[in-house]
Amino acid sequence: MGVAFVAHCMLNQNSKVWEGAHCPGVYSPVVDVLRAKGWRIEQMPCPELAFSGLNRFWAVREQLDTPAYRRHCRRLAVAVADMISMRAERGEDVVLVGVEGSPSMGVRITSSDPAMGGKPEWPEGSTEHTDGEGIFIEELRAELGRRGIGFPRVGGETHALPSHDEAAQRAGLESVLGGR
Amino acid sequence: MRIALTADPYVNPPPGGLDGLAILAEAGWGVMQLPAADYPPQTAARMLAEVAEQVQEFRRHDYEFVVVGECAGLAGALAGAGLPLPDQIIPATADELRGFLESRPAPAAGHWARLVERARHRTGASASGKP
Repeated sequence: MGVAFVAHCMLNQNSKVWEGAHCPGVYSPVVDVLRAKGWRIEQMPCPELAFSGLNRFWAVREQLDTPAYRRHCRRLAVAVADMISMRAERGEDVVLVGVEGSPSMGVRITSSDPAMGGKPEWPEGSTEHTDGEGIFIEELRAELGRRGIGFPRVGGETHALPSHDEAAQRAGLESVLGGR
Repeated sequence: MRIALTADPYVNPPPGGLDGLAILAEAGWGVMQLPAADYPPQTAARMLAEVAEQVQEFRRHDYEFVVVGECAGLAGALAGAGLPLPDQIIPATADELRGFLESRPAPAAGHWARLVERARHRTGASASGKP
């Protein structure tokens, strides 16, 4: 058994950008896997909610990657790193569960489009998803690195990806949880 | 439109403890987890300050909040953001929690309803969300 630090929206889909929520409240497909495997859940703050608010547009990394947003993410990363540090010092197994495709919380896939800006126009089927981490995850990695703490194994909720498949998402998460 | 500030033992129940998260999920409530009691006070205070800031944003959009369980420092963190402590329950049983949630007034037609309405009246780019 270990501790899974999960993206805020896993427990609170209200924090999602408009049309981004998959269900009211708790996103059970991830929570159920963690519960079934006996993992403790720790909810991380949503970096975008407090910074850009509930009425924010969907965004790519380039739109959010400003010094001010980095400072905000660093502040949150310090708070989360404090929690991870305590768990790691106790020898508890730690994983991160992010949101694939998110410009902030992506752990393997984020969103990128250097040309995005101005009047919002974003046709369906645009290919903003790209390999990489979101901005908050990068700042958390840096903060844990400064403290000499290894970066945890990561898993991602994949609902925003065109290739999303709930069974594959579950299998991927189970594999991360079992990978110590 | 409804969020429960939920003490850690209801998210990560000890053996035989009440699984508040399952009940809140069933009832369609969002959950904002409060820091566990075993975190050092400074760590917990940092997290509570972030929770309060996020509650502030939700409250601006008429979201309803309740508190499930107890968490030292929560009232102070909320007060620091100019927010009162929402109605609170420390449930001992699933029925008690379900009854409390069911007794809450229906949320006002708030944030999303207004956005949807605005989008209906707008031409060109959509109102919010993925443009």
